[in-house]
Amino acid sequence: MTLLRRNAWVVLISSCVLVGCAVPAKRSDYTALRSENPRSILIVPAINRSVEVNAADYLLSTVSRPLAEKGYYVFPVHMVRSVLDDDGLSDADLVHANSPKRLGQLFGADAVLYITIEKWHAQYAVFSTAVVVELSYILKSAATEQVLWKNQQKVVYQPQNNNSGLAGLIAAAIVAAITRAAPNYIPLAQQANQQAIYTKGSGLPAGPYNVFYKKDQEDF
Amino acid sequence: MRLGFAVAGVLVGALLSGCVPPQKYNWGEYESSLYGYYRDPTKAAQLTAALDAIIQSAEQTKTFVPPGVYAEYGYLLYQQGKTADAIVFFQKEKALWPESAFFMDAMIRNATDAANRKTGADKK
Repeated sequence: MTLLRRNAWVVLISSCVLVGCAVPAKRSDYTALRSENPRSILIVPAINRSVEVNAADYLLSTVSRPLAEKGYYVFPVHMVRSVLDDDGLSDADLVHANSPKRLGQLFGADAVLYITIEKWHAQYAVFSTAVVVELSYILKSAATEQVLWKNQQKVVYQPQNNNSGLAGLIAAAIVAAITRAAPNYIPLAQQANQQAIYTKGSGLPAGPYNVFYKKDQEDF
Repeated sequence: MRLGFAVAGVLVGALLSGCVPPQKYNWGEYESSLYGYYRDPTKAAQLTAALDAIIQSAEQTKTFVPPGVYAEYGYLLYQQGKTADAIVFFQKEKALWPESAFFMDAMIRNATDAANRKTGADKK
């Protein structure tokens, strides 16, 4: 095997690991989830522990798609946020303090997904910048209030400094400056969601609108 | 060697299919337009247009509109005071996704009340 081809394999396998095919270290307990069998998920605005004030709104644009693709009915996130706002629940801490039963009853949802943004920032240095997104997810039953699933994901993006010498340092400095001006957290948030929901053994089993519904017990 | 390539191809295919399953729905510009709207709330028109495009494309190809998109679009119309149009889309969400029935019924009642108040005010 030539070095080039071996490199191609390494790239392929590592890219696969990045999108969520990594061998799970531990397996989550799906007993409650399997027995309750929720069809619909209400995503409520996230608690934001980061310094980026708009992180919770930005995050909201990325969560519906992977959950819906997994086969669940996902309530319209922006509409839910606005309706909660109108009902005096504009503060995410207040929303999260509400029981899943009450939130579920407001919207007719089977389960409520509470997300907390643990980290959402860029670490600046002169020649390099690392962008970090860390999220924790808890899905609770609106019927019994028990935890159906939980997960935590941290994704770090660090522009690679492939060129050595002065040219490489200049290139890295340019990348750092771009990231500093307008760090884009969305791809990281998308990757965190993807890993959280799709990783075998710790992700979320398929919902009723997915072909693997009730057929993925080996993986989850 | 040729067999090697074939095996590699199958493995790549298996790996790829295991990683990123094909999309069930066409999401169009859903994520980027919602993100754009949160970055700059004056971009509500772009969000409305993006949701409209998703709905048009799915209806034309007779595929499923993604969960929540009819409702999201209806709610933007509702916020613009277009209550009758909003109700049409809340009903579409309910018809396509029975899980939304409770919420959509509440929104339809809400929008109907708003429409009645509006016509009442117009008569005075």
